[in-house]
Amino acid sequence: MSEQGLVLEAPRAPRPWASPGEWWGGKWGLRGLALFYLGIMVALPLAAVVSRGLSGGLSAFADAITAPVALEALKLTIGLAIATTIINAFFGTLLAYVLVRYRFPGRNIFSALVDLPFAIPTLVTGVMLVALYGPNSPVGGFLKDHGIQIAFAWPGILLALLFVTLPFIVRTVQPVLLEMDWAEEEASYVLGANGWTTFWKVILPHLRAAITGGSLLAFARALSEFGAIVIIAGNLTGKTLTAPVYIFQLTSQFKYDEAAAVSTLLFGLSFVLVLITERLLNRTGAEVL
Amino acid sequence: MSTQPALAAGGARQKLLRWSLIGVSLLYVLILLLAPFAGIVWIALKEGFSAITDTLTRSDVTHAYYLTLIITVITVAVTTIFGVLTAWVLVRHRFFGRGFMNALVDLPFAVSPIIVGLMCVILFGRGGWFEPFFSSRGIQVIFALPSMILVTAFICIPFVIRGVAPILVELGTDEEEAAKTLGATPFKTFLRVTLPNIRWGLLYGIALSTARALGEVGAVLIVSGSIQGQTETATLYILRALEERQEAQGYLVALTLAAISVFILLGIEYLKNKRTKEQSA
Amino acid sequence: MKFGPTKRALSALVLAGLLLGACGGDNKDTAAAPGGECPATPDPATPLTLTFAAYSTPREVYGKIIPAFQTLWKEEHDDQQVIFQESYGGSTTQSQNVASGFPADIVALSLGPDVDAVADAGLITHDWEDAPDDGIVSTSLVVFDVREGNPQNIEDFDDLAGSVDVLTPDPASSGGARWNIVGAYGAALRGYAGGKKDDTAAAQELLKGIFTNVTVLDKTARDSIKNFESGNGDVAITYENEILTANDAGLPDEMVIPPSTVLIENPVAVVDENVDTHCVREVAEAFVEFLHTDEAKELYSTVGFLRPTDAADAQKGDGELFAPVEDLFTVEDLGGWDAINEDVFGETDGIFTKAFEEAQG
Repeated sequence: MSEQGLVLEAPRAPRPWASPGEWWGGKWGLRGLALFYLGIMVALPLAAVVSRGLSGGLSAFADAITAPVALEALKLTIGLAIATTIINAFFGTLLAYVLVRYRFPGRNIFSALVDLPFAIPTLVTGVMLVALYGPNSPVGGFLKDHGIQIAFAWPGILLALLFVTLPFIVRTVQPVLLEMDWAEEEASYVLGANGWTTFWKVILPHLRAAITGGSLLAFARALSEFGAIVIIAGNLTGKTLTAPVYIFQLTSQFKYDEAAAVSTLLFGLSFVLVLITERLLNRTGAEVL
Repeated sequence: MSTQPALAAGGARQKLLRWSLIGVSLLYVLILLLAPFAGIVWIALKEGFSAITDTLTRSDVTHAYYLTLIITVITVAVTTIFGVLTAWVLVRHRFFGRGFMNALVDLPFAVSPIIVGLMCVILFGRGGWFEPFFSSRGIQVIFALPSMILVTAFICIPFVIRGVAPILVELGTDEEEAAKTLGATPFKTFLRVTLPNIRWGLLYGIALSTARALGEVGAVLIVSGSIQGQTETATLYILRALEERQEAQGYLVALTLAAISVFILLGIEYLKNKRTKEQSA
Repeated sequence: MKFGPTKRALSALVLAGLLLGACGGDNKDTAAAPGGECPATPDPATPLTLTFAAYSTPREVYGKIIPAFQTLWKEEHDDQQVIFQESYGGSTTQSQNVASGFPADIVALSLGPDVDAVADAGLITHDWEDAPDDGIVSTSLVVFDVREGNPQNIEDFDDLAGSVDVLTPDPASSGGARWNIVGAYGAALRGYAGGKKDDTAAAQELLKGIFTNVTVLDKTARDSIKNFESGNGDVAITYENEILTANDAGLPDEMVIPPSTVLIENPVAVVDENVDTHCVREVAEAFVEFLHTDEAKELYSTVGFLRPTDAADAQKGDGELFAPVEDLFTVEDLGGWDAINEDVFGETDGIFTKAFEEAQG
């Protein structure tokens, strides 16, 4: 670029530092600060929990996570998370498709609504759901009379989880749909395929990684939800006691070792999922394009 | 470049498919997201306006809002400053351990807030690693403001970093290098060149952070002791109001938080649009 | 705007700010300097702050008693304000919190042993039982909360071992939970509830039967009754005052008083270590004294629906709000808390401990 007849001024005397990092007394100044920040704020606390969880040795750890109440809580949490993920994988993809593909009145409001769960406090979500489906509300009362209980039973928890995880899938699928070349889809229609075949054979293959990634994030999120669940669930062991609420109970009882053990298991699982997702979606932001 | 022609109106079947898909999606969103919101508005406001002013002027309620505000401001400030720094280091530097550091940034996403609270009490509670240090100096960490800030900050760490990093990647170092050759100091470069370029991503991360800090409940529930008028945030107040069978008051404060979040949401949408516009420009 | 070498300084400032926030967080106007003395006569213009940790159910009554005390103090002390910072939770959880550093100046807990736990941690250095009414400020009964019309015909503790779903809180965190257990245990030992006099094996059977039917152990007594109100379970074992409070709030909770039940006695004590650190000893002790006055007792019985501290009066009831109890026994009748903690809650041989284990398995 500089060869094309540009007149260059005499260069200024070079600064003593070669890169921004070096101004800080070497590249390791900035790096050190960042590592210190993450180390103190993230690595250290997590190490504390893991070490506390294993403080009684592997047998104590195993006992804590296989206690009957713990197992029930873990089963319930994982089961509900799976259900949430499957349902929202479907609806999330549908929503993403509708938002990208179609124009209709109110589309922008619709799109903003999908991000609502990211903005609203989870506790408020729980309160909203109880307000709407609790036994004293018109909707909840009506349903209860017909034998369907939503609040303080697993459907309520499922609704809360669906609420908080919806944006994850929509927002991972949407960018991929935006980037997609519509020529393929149009060609498919031109060749006489119907909507379903087009979607299944032409569009979906492109979305697989995004849907999977979004689903894994949603799943990890569903595993750790607390604020909404503490309001809408009823702490019934085996029926509505989730793992985070169980850990909360243990912590309130000062049973830190057991709480730490179950916590280690729970966040270990979530973390693995998040890592896999990052790999799938190539979203680290630190990779050079 | 992607082309998105509106689907040519290829017959009645296409139209039916299109509208039924839109209809189903709309219905799902309506039932899942909008209806609960309407429910809370109804219950909170049905007691009438005098009840509203009564609740919102109570000293414990105003203190709860105040505390939430303080925690949010400090948390966002700290995670923003260190977040930009960390994003910079992650993107612009190459060093051994960078992958590990990258993974650390994602960890808070995977941790349940309850576990965050547990982490804090293990470190600073009785018998904790740091407890002797602080208690001998008369500094109260657990059951006081510092622990509440720490846990909220932990939870908010990823937002700014993940908002800024992708933009730094996209930007590349061209402009920064140019500034350097023209003799700018690293700070001037950062201020005049980098910062303006990342501003939408940065603000987006800040908005998400703010919304998250505002709504934190699980972790502060564990570390704060819920001392009314001292360590009770707006969210903790809502929990207590429900316990005390003062549903209307609890719902009212919940509604105010919901309203603030909607406001932040609008900000998020706006910033998101700006960010994608800038990225594709 | 100038930006010298300030980025690192900025971050340091933020960190410093965080730490400063730690110190400035609570009211230090009247507190002693570390290692220093409290001001001899505090300035009436400076408000005093008392941190108050209580169990989960008496929120409503302290919501009335505290303002009454604040008015009284203002009149007697030159308009000086006393600010109360209240915290409510499971009695045992609160007591352990205080022992772990929760800066409570006064503890109002559900049962004596929870106050003893704070004393054992070295935070209470006086004999809290050496006070009017032995340190007890209010009493209540262990009763049952049943559905409207009592469809399961629940009358006594042994009905809870039948085919019903029972709600009771977790004894590890809730004081009320332990009262419930003592109630059942004592009733059986005194020959009621299908038990035989002094037959501990029968008592254990009863407890096992009840806890086989317990579907969930909530963290606090208040959580437990709210759980019941939201539709779970057929019966909840709870405090009499909880049901009366619920009725007062318009809820249809229906009470059944078993023929033999225990008198719940709630203590209040000043936490010496904390009041000296915060320099609020005088006002804290005045508050605890106030709780034993007639004015406070009136509030306890009409707002908190708590029975009189005298056991005989408590048993009679008052003909209006408080029904008489056929056989009302106290912890003393069972040998005192030391004996109960050993016999009933002992880690290896406690009757409840064994019954609970059998119920789980």
